[in-house]
Amino acid sequence: MPQLNPEFFISQLFWLFVFFSFLLIFLWRVSLPRIATVMEKRQNKINENLSTAKELQEQALKIEKNINFQISNAKEETDEEIKKTIISLQEEASTKLSSLEKELEVKISNSEKEIIKNRDLQMKTINEEISNITKITVSKISDLKLSDSVVNQAIQSFKGKIN
Amino acid sequence: MAAKGEKHSPLEQFEIVPISNIEIGSYNISFTNSSFAMLITVLLITMFLTLTVNTRSIIPSRLQLISELMYNFIAQLLTDTVGDNGKKYFPFVFTLFMFVLIGNMVGMIPYQFTFTSHIIVTFALASIVFIGVTILGFINHGIKFFTFFYIPGVPFYMHPLLIPIEVISYLSRPISLSVRLFANMLAGHTLLKVFAGFVVSMPFFTGVLPLTFIVALTGLEILIAFLQAYVFAILTCLYINDAYHLH
Repeated sequence: MPQLNPEFFISQLFWLFVFFSFLLIFLWRVSLPRIATVMEKRQNKINENLSTAKELQEQALKIEKNINFQISNAKEETDEEIKKTIISLQEEASTKLSSLEKELEVKISNSEKEIIKNRDLQMKTINEEISNITKITVSKISDLKLSDSVVNQAIQSFKGKIN
Repeated sequence: MAAKGEKHSPLEQFEIVPISNIEIGSYNISFTNSSFAMLITVLLITMFLTLTVNTRSIIPSRLQLISELMYNFIAQLLTDTVGDNGKKYFPFVFTLFMFVLIGNMVGMIPYQFTFTSHIIVTFALASIVFIGVTILGFINHGIKFFTFFYIPGVPFYMHPLLIPIEVISYLSRPISLSVRLFANMLAGHTLLKVFAGFVVSMPFFTGVLPLTFIVALTGLEILIAFLQAYVFAILTCLYINDAYHLH
């Protein structure tokens, strides 16, 4: 069994010592600090990014709050504006309505006056027509020539009886 | 590959062959195939861990990620077993783990030598751990370190039996640690070699069977190579923990 042959024991121990010591010192002084630095740097970067993210999130929350506040403000303002407009419109409508009513009343009274005037006029022409018809009728029946005043008197007396 | 007609022992692969003969005084410190495997191991580890982290990029490349995973793996192992005290020993445990792991892996390359299959190498590594941990125990606890062998809560008449057992188990730590790694590597490689012999010696088509077996065994061996390095590292961590916390 070659493992138990002591011929190369010293050589193996010597080279083991040389290589292992070299490896230990090299890793200890060069490689491991490098890896540690890289990982530390990464951890720092991650922490930094996390804190930045947190800050940004807080800022975003603030902005969102602000936006919501502004939206509610705007809603309130709009509601108020709508109310005001409704009230002013109602007022305007009522004033217009009342002015229209007045106008209408004036128009109605005017119309009434016109009607009365027309009626009177018509009544007058009716009286004339009556006297004319009467004159014609009398002349046709009796060959009598009646003067206007007689006819009118007769009509007036007759009229008084009817009434 | 074994030449036909020659007899090859499965243990032949563990033969140490000097590459260049060096002697200092009466000591033979020849650069051998074992030393060459160690050199390759050290070169691989240093180059990999240096080149992959060379860019020091915050977003790691795949290779850099492997280095960082190894770093975190051992760092986690130490923190879990020893706690905050373990940070000081991180470079040592990491070096030990990488040296054994890559040593085992280099041994998996065909025609490469596995230096961890030699008891003298594993025993030396285990001795470093054992001696280091014992010194650490005495530094931390002084003479009280001997209470490590005293198990509290046991009837007094059991102590004459238990204390020697504890002492023996403590002293056998370097042996168990080194033999575990050495035996695993030795057995695995021997088994592979035996099956490889079957591939050559069996009739044409039946040779495929042990070949399939070799492929499966190679996978298993790679797993064992990792597992043994892990066991070596975790036991070292546990021993360091013992040096801090007695029973």
